[in-house]
Amino acid sequence: MYRIRFHGRGGQGMKTASRILGSAFFLQGYEVQDAPRYGAERRGAPIFAFVRADKAPINERGIIVKPDLIIVADDTLVPVPAAGVMGGADEHTILLINSHTDVAEWQGRLNYPGPIVVLPAPEEVTDRAEMPFVGALCAGAAAALCHVINRDSLQQAIEQELGHLGSEILKKNRQRALHAFDLIRETRTEVVEGIVADATAWHAPEWIELPFDDARTAAPVIHAADNTDALKTGSWRTMRPVIDYQRCNKCWWVCSTFCPDGAIAVEEGTPVIDYDHCKGCLVCVAQCPPHAIEAVAEHTAAAEEKKS
Amino acid sequence: MTRRLMTGNAAAAWGARLAEVDYIPAFPITPQTEIIESLSEWIDREEMPGRMVTLESEHSMITAAGSAAATGVRVFSATSSQGLLYAMEMLYTVSGWRAPFVLANVSRGLASPITLEPDHNDILAARDSGFLQIHCATCQEVLDSTLIAYKLAEDPRVRLPVIVNLDGFYLSFTREPVTLPEQEKVRDFLPPFDAENMMFRASSPESQAVAVLGGGPYSYFRYETHLAAQNALAVYDEIADEFEQHFGRRHDALESYRCEDAEYLFVMMGSFATKAKEAVDRLRDAGWAIGLVRPRLLRPLPREALQRVLCNRSAVAVVDQNLSMGMGGVLHSEVTSVLYGQPNAPLLASFIGGLGGRDIPSEEFFQIATVLRDAVKQGSAPPPRLLYTGNELREVRNLQAIAKVERTELERDRGEKDDE
Amino acid sequence: MSESTIFKNLKNMPSTHLLGTGTPMCAGCGGLEALHEVYDILGEKTVFVNAAGCMTLLSVYPFTPFRGGWLYTAMASAPAGAQGVRDALDILKARGTISDDEDMQVVVLTGDGSAYGMGLSATSGAMERDLDFIYLCYDNEGYGNTGQQFSGATPHGAKTATSTGSHGYPGYKKPLFDIWAAHRPAYVATVIGAEPLDLARKIEKARTMKGPRMIIALSPCPTGWSYDPKETAHIGQLAVKSGVWPLKEFIDGKVVHTRVPSKRVPVEEYLKLQGRYKHLFEPQRNEKLIAEIQARVDAYWESVE
Repeated sequence: MYRIRFHGRGGQGMKTASRILGSAFFLQGYEVQDAPRYGAERRGAPIFAFVRADKAPINERGIIVKPDLIIVADDTLVPVPAAGVMGGADEHTILLINSHTDVAEWQGRLNYPGPIVVLPAPEEVTDRAEMPFVGALCAGAAAALCHVINRDSLQQAIEQELGHLGSEILKKNRQRALHAFDLIRETRTEVVEGIVADATAWHAPEWIELPFDDARTAAPVIHAADNTDALKTGSWRTMRPVIDYQRCNKCWWVCSTFCPDGAIAVEEGTPVIDYDHCKGCLVCVAQCPPHAIEAVAEHTAAAEEKKS
Repeated sequence: MTRRLMTGNAAAAWGARLAEVDYIPAFPITPQTEIIESLSEWIDREEMPGRMVTLESEHSMITAAGSAAATGVRVFSATSSQGLLYAMEMLYTVSGWRAPFVLANVSRGLASPITLEPDHNDILAARDSGFLQIHCATCQEVLDSTLIAYKLAEDPRVRLPVIVNLDGFYLSFTREPVTLPEQEKVRDFLPPFDAENMMFRASSPESQAVAVLGGGPYSYFRYETHLAAQNALAVYDEIADEFEQHFGRRHDALESYRCEDAEYLFVMMGSFATKAKEAVDRLRDAGWAIGLVRPRLLRPLPREALQRVLCNRSAVAVVDQNLSMGMGGVLHSEVTSVLYGQPNAPLLASFIGGLGGRDIPSEEFFQIATVLRDAVKQGSAPPPRLLYTGNELREVRNLQAIAKVERTELERDRGEKDDE
Repeated sequence: MSESTIFKNLKNMPSTHLLGTGTPMCAGCGGLEALHEVYDILGEKTVFVNAAGCMTLLSVYPFTPFRGGWLYTAMASAPAGAQGVRDALDILKARGTISDDEDMQVVVLTGDGSAYGMGLSATSGAMERDLDFIYLCYDNEGYGNTGQQFSGATPHGAKTATSTGSHGYPGYKKPLFDIWAAHRPAYVATVIGAEPLDLARKIEKARTMKGPRMIIALSPCPTGWSYDPKETAHIGQLAVKSGVWPLKEFIDGKVVHTRVPSKRVPVEEYLKLQGRYKHLFEPQRNEKLIAEIQARVDAYWESVE
């Protein structure tokens, strides 16, 4: 059985990617399961989706713990623990990253046990009315790595899944997906179907008797205050607001008040952005009267940060 | 200590008054209304402190009850039937808050069709809600159970809301002699509610009833509620002892009536069980070795006590005043599960009776005993039976004729019209 | 009353914020923008009683952005939850169990799905009982938490997940302000996070009053309205300038407009920034529908001027 996991951000089209790949497998005569995983995720927040495909009917369900292929639509997710991108990967698991950085760099950066394939990422769009939609692109790349899917099935699957969006969008996405398909086929990397669970040798679960805790402990009550700052929502960001303090006119309230997340505090008359929590909505960029805040692509900003 | 005639509804109201409740969110519904009317009158006459507020629905009523308990005051509320169902979302919700309070439910059959008469499908719909359930058979029990319920709900080992159930009409509107305990003694039995570390105060942050992510934490919180409900069995026994010491009356989790040497047993809940008690006495007079078992606690279910009392009997008849469509009597299912795999388990027979207040006369209990005896002779349990007579069906047929439900009549009428 | 406010001008606005960062609201959430502005003014001694909606996810075990209280109830009955908390605090104060210092402002926090629909009966009941509470509806004009299906708050013509046709939502936004005002509560106001001074003055006013104080915050929603999240404040400002979202209050039996746009920007300016109205402009302009939306806004302002 093929077990494939897509990681991306809310709005990037991971559900669609899983559906395109699922349909492509189905067109090739496979039994298929595809599903997104919803939670308390929001646009920009890490989400994932998965596909199972097999020649026999599929009884497994739910989250894929041990994937054969991991597709990362957004490379800024790789170091985010909450995204769990590399969870369950072993020597046979291919990691496909949609990235501006090359394979050698990723191999150096990650202690990753299996093969890494990089799909060159498109530039961030400046108008983000829609998140950069990379669903079709990722599905195309994934299909290429599963050698059992041919180009025609991929095309047909894209038509089935995206046809309702109109011919313009369909055309653009089909082009991107096929381009990715051809590019990745050239790498000659192939997904190897994982082994099924072995009922003759396994690790027994460490079951316990759940101890009784009285309601002071066991009620869903938080006695802490104001502790969400432990959640680094800065990882949602694809674009980063950067303040040019030369141009900042120290109005001290505009960016700070309009920031939905309260991630800009004014310290001694100077606004300071909390990048651990700034989600990159860029309301501050749009609202700053002297245009003292600039939007910079996160991967560029992060690279510059590293240099300095 | 005074003894006076009062209805089950009045007994429930007196239970709340003696428990010195702080807060009563209310909403009227037949046949519960007298409870909130009594409390309202006492508060208006300043005979009892406490604050009553009438909400716009039972759903809101239970929300307000849970919220006030979660803020640290003692809360009482009451409902019935459709009202309990309308509140159902919040029953499950507030038990998860671990907000302890007492809700009196006056059992009434559920729509459809509409009825005002009692049966237990309303309260059994709340079986898995996390509310504990005490089922009463007399007006005295209603009062006593309300006091017991507060002590049980507020115990740190439990901390769950409790429903005290009484049957509409048969208890709610029926007067019986009830002994009123003295306020001082009740105060001694039931100290003020201590919310411990769960309440809203400006000085201490508190986010209650929050969402969780993932099955791990969810399972933990849900199972802890289950463990707390199970704890309630042992805690209940302690409280029953204490209650007896204070007031001289004993209310066990499981009532066993004339069971010592009984070969046959009836199992029933609620006020109709006293009819079975009466039948037991008559059957005993006629030489039968028969008794009655009545679970007062349905949640938590006293499993072991049931196993002890039911095993080593020849046959047991569970008479359910409820109906799970497509399965049968709910209590029968519960007893079956309790007895599964037990050595010397009795033959088990299922009877459905008393739906929508339909009477169960003595003869039917006698006949049930006979069915049990025949089953033992044949060595197999009889099929489930609805207690229903030919006369009753004939009456329904008459009603149907008046309602012109029969197709032939409809067609004949149509024919006549065409002729005109 | 507005004369005595401490928020005379923007220099009085708070520059550090009480509401914690790190919440799972979408980037650019207009509701969160309003909430954090509101919280700065209400202060820590606030218990939020929440109805099912996007903001239910503000407190997910074991994290909370709040410094005071929070209680999640259900979609239909948050005002009843506020009733229980308010009454319990009053009982405890009257009995001397807690001091006045321990008292808290009780605030219902709810989305439009609950406020305009399922929760309306409970809200009406709370006003009828003259409950001493603040009610804050973050109105993003649809069931946002489930993917923006239309609600009773959805404006005419808007595309939602359940009104995808070429004319968008066929119904009209329910006049919740008027429905509330008809109950004669102590205070009713519309606000928007993009007009923080107006919001601050109204919340400050509400904070110091007693009885039901009802607030609707129009909450531009990049996810549900389909626009670049950086436009949240801009779209909010256009909602006011175009007259689509009148900033007003009901107090002492009278409706007062707190911001009358001297020359209203055409509604088109507001609509065209949002993907949910894209079908009004592409593939060809739907002049009739644009004109109808404009006419309804004009008619509103004519009726109040």
